[in-house]
Amino acid sequence: MAASLDVLRGTLDLLILKALSWGPAHGYSVAEWIERVTDDTLVIEEGSLYPALHRLDERGLIEAEWGLSGNNRRAKYYALTTAGRQALKTESASWTRYAEAVFAALSAPASLKPASV
Amino acid sequence: MSSRREPLWRRYLRFFGPDVDADIEEELRFHLEMRERQYLASGMTPQAAREAAERKFGDFDRHRRRLRRQDARRLRRDHWSERLDGWRRDVRFALRTLGRQRGFSLAVIGTLSLGIGATTAMFSAVDAALLRPLPFPRPRELVELRNVEVPFREYDGQEEHPSGAPTIRDAIALGELFSGVGAYAVGGLNLSGTGTPIRIRVGVVTTGLLPTLGVRPAFGRLFLPEEGNPGNATVALISHGLWQRQFGGDSALPRSVLLNSRSYRIVGIMPQGFTFPEGIDLWIPLTIPMTFETFEPFRGAILKTVVARLSPGASLDAARDRMRQLWVRLPAPERGESREVLTDPVRPLQGSLVGERREPMLILLGATGLLLLIACVNATNLLLAHAATRERELAVRAVLGASRGRLVRQLLAQSLVLSVAGALGGLALAAGTLRAVQGLLPKGMLDIASPHLDLRLLAFAVGLAGVTGLGFGLWPALGAARTDAQGALKSGGGHGATAARRGRLRRTLVTAELALALVLLAGAGLMLKSFATLLSTDPGFQPERVAALQVVLDGSRAERNANRVMAVSAILERLRGRPGIEAAGAVNDLPMGDQIRMSIRVGVEGRPGGEGVEPIFARYLMASEGYFRTLAIPLVRGRFMRETDDSLAPRVAVINETMARTVWPGEDPIGKRFRSGGREGFRTVVGIVRDVRERMDEQPEPHTYFPISEFAPPDVTIVARGALAGPDLLAALRRAVHEADPTQAVYNVRTLADAMSRTLAPRRSNTLLITVFGLLALLLSLVGVYGVVSYTVTLRQRELGIRAALGASRRDLARMVLAEGTAVAALGIGIGLVGAFALSRVLRGLLYGVEPTDPAALFAAAAALFIPAILATLIPARRAARANPVDVMRSE
Repeated sequence: MAASLDVLRGTLDLLILKALSWGPAHGYSVAEWIERVTDDTLVIEEGSLYPALHRLDERGLIEAEWGLSGNNRRAKYYALTTAGRQALKTESASWTRYAEAVFAALSAPASLKPASV
Repeated sequence: MSSRREPLWRRYLRFFGPDVDADIEEELRFHLEMRERQYLASGMTPQAAREAAERKFGDFDRHRRRLRRQDARRLRRDHWSERLDGWRRDVRFALRTLGRQRGFSLAVIGTLSLGIGATTAMFSAVDAALLRPLPFPRPRELVELRNVEVPFREYDGQEEHPSGAPTIRDAIALGELFSGVGAYAVGGLNLSGTGTPIRIRVGVVTTGLLPTLGVRPAFGRLFLPEEGNPGNATVALISHGLWQRQFGGDSALPRSVLLNSRSYRIVGIMPQGFTFPEGIDLWIPLTIPMTFETFEPFRGAILKTVVARLSPGASLDAARDRMRQLWVRLPAPERGESREVLTDPVRPLQGSLVGERREPMLILLGATGLLLLIACVNATNLLLAHAATRERELAVRAVLGASRGRLVRQLLAQSLVLSVAGALGGLALAAGTLRAVQGLLPKGMLDIASPHLDLRLLAFAVGLAGVTGLGFGLWPALGAARTDAQGALKSGGGHGATAARRGRLRRTLVTAELALALVLLAGAGLMLKSFATLLSTDPGFQPERVAALQVVLDGSRAERNANRVMAVSAILERLRGRPGIEAAGAVNDLPMGDQIRMSIRVGVEGRPGGEGVEPIFARYLMASEGYFRTLAIPLVRGRFMRETDDSLAPRVAVINETMARTVWPGEDPIGKRFRSGGREGFRTVVGIVRDVRERMDEQPEPHTYFPISEFAPPDVTIVARGALAGPDLLAALRRAVHEADPTQAVYNVRTLADAMSRTLAPRRSNTLLITVFGLLALLLSLVGVYGVVSYTVTLRQRELGIRAALGASRRDLARMVLAEGTAVAALGIGIGLVGAFALSRVLRGLLYGVEPTDPAALFAAAAALFIPAILATLIPARRAARANPVDVMRSE
């Protein structure tokens, strides 16, 4: 846990969309999924998870509906809308490009060091 | 996912709107619980699991608050955009529908434009004069102190002090009530020293006036307190306009100007647009006390107004009480003519500037209000007729599940679209008539606040549109939405209970419309009759072919009375021999002018005055014999004054018939003697002339004429009667004066007929406006009558056909329809007459020589409405007469 990172806001939205791409889920399972798949590297703050969910709902990327959880508890389920699915596709593409670019820079060989003036 | 659906009861709760708070709470709690479960599963004790979950979660309340804010914002936004969307859809729908029915739409829009335009135009005048505050700081504090005197130094301490009223000094002493007190008077002076002498309007103001109003000069300074003392008052402030015109806006102003040949030092320039009280170009100090010396040029033609600013804590009522006390301390006979002032000694300045124009303006605004009401009734009527044609469509939509609220909203959107279009048309109309409206305002008011189209007016028109849209649209909308869908579908519209109900409603509306129109027409009839009465009133003189101009026999060259008398005589001498001029004369003040009338208190020889004797006031004029000949004022008895009646001769006077009757009832006044107040010697009455009216709408007052050859005032009006037409006569008159004295400035050049017509101008415009409103009302209600009767004919087509089949003649059918039209018209007119009677007192102030219940005028109004109303029903009646049983049967 010591190595956990805070999640940037735009990134959190993308992760939420990805989490929901497997099917409707409630907030807790979204958080739990992210923590699980990143091996607890990314820790989701509840203080930002729910505002993000509600914001995405408002933007029409996901929609919320009340349902019953597996243990028969009332829970709010979020599901991707068509617009959300589309956003996930474009966002994850651009995120990947971005991450690859940063990674390429960080792992650049010494021979490519900045020109000295 | 169906197994996870929330319980049904919860959805019913949603019916009342989502419960945002509970949802958030529940969502977050669920999260906490799940986390706790996870920790439990990983082997923690329940206690440790809960604590760890809570620690991980953080501040529950903060998270909840934040979500709550976020969701509430969203909810509000959703709510509004949903509504807006609905309205936008309805408006689009209305535009489409109306676009398809252009004739109907134009009729409604035109009707509303008339009503809204007339009301908005009138409102612009009322707004400028009555509602908009004066352009001074804290304008509500400004009041006029009525009948407060500015004392004359020469009268100070004298027993004869004019009215015995409180003086401005008394008001200034009331520092706890008034934070500032000032007085002003308006007059004309000759400005010379810069080329041709010009005549300018001068404000003579006490040094306290401008600070009281709260104005500052654009350049220089205001008057200093010591410049309000007699002897120091040789300073002047000039208007921005005069600075631009006469001095080219040059910063190197001449340091002094000559006014009636006296030198004044310019100390400041007032800001642009400031011309208080009206059209003033130059201000000089009014000293306290006034002196004959400084006041000489204005003598006989100046009225002072005293203005004060209430102290922050002082109320109008407190000021009234205090000023009343100042009056009450005076002995009773001195208060004789001021009883009216006693009841209202302090008035808000704005009200007193508007003065007597207030009442007509409000009445006219009321008249436009009636017109607007008629327009609305008419629009309602048109909408009802329109609703009949859409009955089927609405019924179908109702059957298909459109809610009643939705239908009402849609119909209302339609009427709002119509009324907004009406408001735009109305604004255009108001903009076009603004110039005419300006004529309704007092001249002084135009300078201070002139009516113009601005956001206020726009807001007013839009507000009217909203109210009218709801007003005329709601009823038809509710009615249409109530439509009995089944009935309408079965009968194919135009029949059945709905149609009959609508027919009754429309008849009622037309009756109301006729009643309202009659009220307006009755007003128009009364005003027209007043005006005709006024025009046919004999003013006591013949204004045709008489020209007049004013000259100022100013200080340096004519300081002495003898010089002025000679100057007048020289001008008259020039005129006498000229071809084309039949008679000429001189007088200090013409009838039909707007000058301040001077009166004397008549002291009759041998009759004691004092307590208990009603004082007689007579207007006093100074005239030459030629004045009477020029205006063709007949001599009744005795003789006119002669040129030999000079200051050395025994004093004589010519009086008018009213004075003869008032002062010497049942006696022969010729040879009787009287004097002005108690100051001068007695003078003998030598002649009686016919009464002359000062204004057409005023009864003659006692007049006395002193020979102008005895005393000539500085300000003299020269009159001439000629064979020439107006402009030529004016030119001849001007030339003669110029020849007599080339340096003489003349002003106020006009023909007497023009002057007379000017005094009638406010009445003329009031009469014209009410008449126009009445005619518009007539037109609108005729459209209404025609519409409703022709609608019933359509409704009864079947019945009429059956009657025809059963043997009714065409004449019978037409008579049936006519009878209905007549009934509606008679009922409407009857109700209108009652209304006109009830409102008659409102109009009394505007009438002249006509009772507000004048039967002839009311009858004429009724006839003017009844006859066209019957004619309007003739057209549908003829259609009814052609009813053909075969056609009717076929159409079924």
